[in-house]
Amino acid sequence: MKKKVLSMLLSMTMLAGIMTGCGSAGTQSAADQLEEQGVTEIPVAESTTAAEEATIESAPEAKELDLSQQVDLVFYVMGDAPQDEELVEAALNEKLLEKCNATVDMQFSTWTDFQQKYANEITAQSADLIYIANWLNYGQLASSGAFEELDDMLDTVAPELKAMVGDGSLNMCRVGGKIYAIPNTWPEYVCNGVKYREDLREKYDLPVPDSIENLEAYLKGIKENEPNQGLLTVTTEESQGLKTGFDAAWVLNFKYPWVSTNGLDYGLAANYDSPSDVYDYWYSDDFTEDMKLLKSWADQGFWSKSALSDTNNSDAYKNGLCVAEVAGQNPNKQITAIADFENAGEGWTSEYVAYGEVTNTIYPGHATQNGTAIVRGCKDPERALLVLQTMLCDDEVNSIVQYGIKGTHYDVADGIYKNLQEEAGETPTFPYEGFNTWNLRNGDTKLPQKTDVALQEMFDKYEKLGATTKFPNVNIYDGFSENYEAYSAERSAVSNVMRQYLAPLEAGLVDDVDAAVTEFRDKMKEAGIDKCREEYTKQWKAYCEEYNYQ
Amino acid sequence: MARDLDYEPSAPKTIKKSTGTRIFEAVAYILLILGSVICVLPFIIIVSGSFTDNATILTKGYSLLPRDFTFSAYQTIFKSPKDILQAYKMNFYYTIVGTGLGLMMITLTGYVISRKEFKYRNTVSFLIYFTSIFGGGMIPWYLMYANVLGLKGSTLAIWFPALMSPFLVILMRTFIVGAVPDAITESAKIDGAGHFTIFCRIVLPVLKPGLATVGLFLALGYWNDWYRSSMFSTNSSTWQLQFYLYDLLNATTAMKQMASNVSMKTADLPTESVKLAMAVVATGPVLLFYPFVQRFFVSGITVGAVKG
Repeated sequence: MKKKVLSMLLSMTMLAGIMTGCGSAGTQSAADQLEEQGVTEIPVAESTTAAEEATIESAPEAKELDLSQQVDLVFYVMGDAPQDEELVEAALNEKLLEKCNATVDMQFSTWTDFQQKYANEITAQSADLIYIANWLNYGQLASSGAFEELDDMLDTVAPELKAMVGDGSLNMCRVGGKIYAIPNTWPEYVCNGVKYREDLREKYDLPVPDSIENLEAYLKGIKENEPNQGLLTVTTEESQGLKTGFDAAWVLNFKYPWVSTNGLDYGLAANYDSPSDVYDYWYSDDFTEDMKLLKSWADQGFWSKSALSDTNNSDAYKNGLCVAEVAGQNPNKQITAIADFENAGEGWTSEYVAYGEVTNTIYPGHATQNGTAIVRGCKDPERALLVLQTMLCDDEVNSIVQYGIKGTHYDVADGIYKNLQEEAGETPTFPYEGFNTWNLRNGDTKLPQKTDVALQEMFDKYEKLGATTKFPNVNIYDGFSENYEAYSAERSAVSNVMRQYLAPLEAGLVDDVDAAVTEFRDKMKEAGIDKCREEYTKQWKAYCEEYNYQ
Repeated sequence: MARDLDYEPSAPKTIKKSTGTRIFEAVAYILLILGSVICVLPFIIIVSGSFTDNATILTKGYSLLPRDFTFSAYQTIFKSPKDILQAYKMNFYYTIVGTGLGLMMITLTGYVISRKEFKYRNTVSFLIYFTSIFGGGMIPWYLMYANVLGLKGSTLAIWFPALMSPFLVILMRTFIVGAVPDAITESAKIDGAGHFTIFCRIVLPVLKPGLATVGLFLALGYWNDWYRSSMFSTNSSTWQLQFYLYDLLNATTAMKQMASNVSMKTADLPTESVKLAMAVVATGPVLLFYPFVQRFFVSGITVGAVKG
């Protein structure tokens, strides 16, 4: 009897071992799945309660808000909390109580499972104010009713805010004709481009890599002079979307004036000047041509033969392991590189060419890149909007939120922000934009950091270039969000084919380009690309029409 | 086959081992050595990497013995050890409270549904079992704790949800049914013992192996969990240790990804060697303490077996 019990116990323990093993893996993948579904399975918030609707409908013109009741709001933002969260919150709330009779409790998503938690937060309706961004599916969430409509409230409660943000930006935040979010007012240029080593270019008298030919000449020149120097550390990591499969393919942006970096999804493309005119790229002769070019680069040894399986080493450039970076770069990263090279003290210098400079398609970040929305079910939407207005427009409050307490955390010298703790060699307890409130950047009063001066110079240059385009300084692409519920199976099949067939093609690691291109195209057909393309084009054209990007 | 193996070690030394046995032993030793090397190597690389200069890791890669030996990564961590110590403290708290209360509740439940005089024991068992097959799903689970029970941000949300698991309750019930014959409880009853006395003085003493097994499952589960911190914590001072470390890694990757879309600072992210040193600091104590627990765990089971 005892023996039986023992053996049973043992077998059950073993089973448990297996089960706990599988269990944790299972839950994780389930969570991952949900995360992926985050786009399609947006929790539909309950419809507005009758009371709320009544307040919105009966809102008179520019009314005085009743501030007699104190309101405690929760503001949900991304990322990790700064160490001095409580201290700064106390200072902030002191001001907010005085000005709006309200308090704000900042809550942080952390960077673990943030997409899942963001969706949870909206479903649970526990936050009042929330950070929104296009990469958090703002468009989808807004159209499924996750946020309060702000059109009427902006006039009655926050005219100052409305005037400051301006109709242009607000209109970009419209979903189905309604405003659901307040963007930040600091135009930011994230123009992708190529970062390269100016010191080496000068040393060997090579051309500035501002076109595919010049980049090739630059890389070739360095290879001839310094055969042991690594050239590009390209991998598949910056190319996880539905546009490219391998990072080296980003250089093709020198050639095409596309509406967004790397064109549209599913191998479609549209030019910035005629966004609604969608054309085919993967099945065009240009594509075969480009693949042959990339193969010739691979054959010349511009990147490692194992590039497809390498992991991305984002510090490669900083440590001199490569002489240019072509994927996922932006002005901000260039500024970081300059600082890194200064610290390294090896006499290296970094320069930057944006793809859009060459093709004349420069545009700033989209308004929905960093914004704030009021979650439907908010305790008091009008007060929340008033608080938001105060946090954005009131210089005193805004600087507490963005920089902390003056004298403790930061100080201003010659109009430039400096972190006092960083200067003293300590870990800052409230760094620059310590609450990660990129959505509360006020373009008029934002304090520049030391590095921002150089950044601003780049931005000014881009702003001038952007003004000369057909849609002056308008980011067309990033306001679009695809709804792929109807064809999610085909979509993931297409994505798989991209990883399997497009990546080696773009990495030039195939023997016969023509045969590989044919195979890739056939596999794409099998995966159901036609269905994806048809739906995607329909949605994209509707988007262009809605915002009048013709 | 198994019988031969059992017999072999105690055989007199004069008897020569057969060739088959020798080959078997050689293969077994080689496989075991390979296996342990596979287990130990990554850990050695982590330890050695934590003592290596960060720039060396980036330019030359990892090595078995530290090149450019330095303590700088540990200095960075222990310059402000507050965070990691706090995470340690909270992890001990969750593990002790969770395992203690969990064991109590699981044992009590197991006892109740193992008693034949409890009329609805099958119904109750089924209800418990049922939850292991059909769950409400992630969103309802979250809403239950966050909105209905209002536990978001409290430490209760971190240890409470894992107190009972259907599997462990059923394991415990099965064990009680097997370990405590009806005759014993019946005689105790005749002697005038109530359920409480029976449970404390008769069932618990023979239940040690079961308690050890279930306790270890619970404790490991609590020690290694990070998910509930991720979901419910609103303040980093309540984080579990594993979440503290996991989030550190996630923050690094997320911020690097974000940096291609948004202007933000990425300069003060932890370096490779600091990450490795973190891993050593976090796992080190567990490595020291695990063999002891494991020994207790193993002996717990065998003690139960011999007594029978």
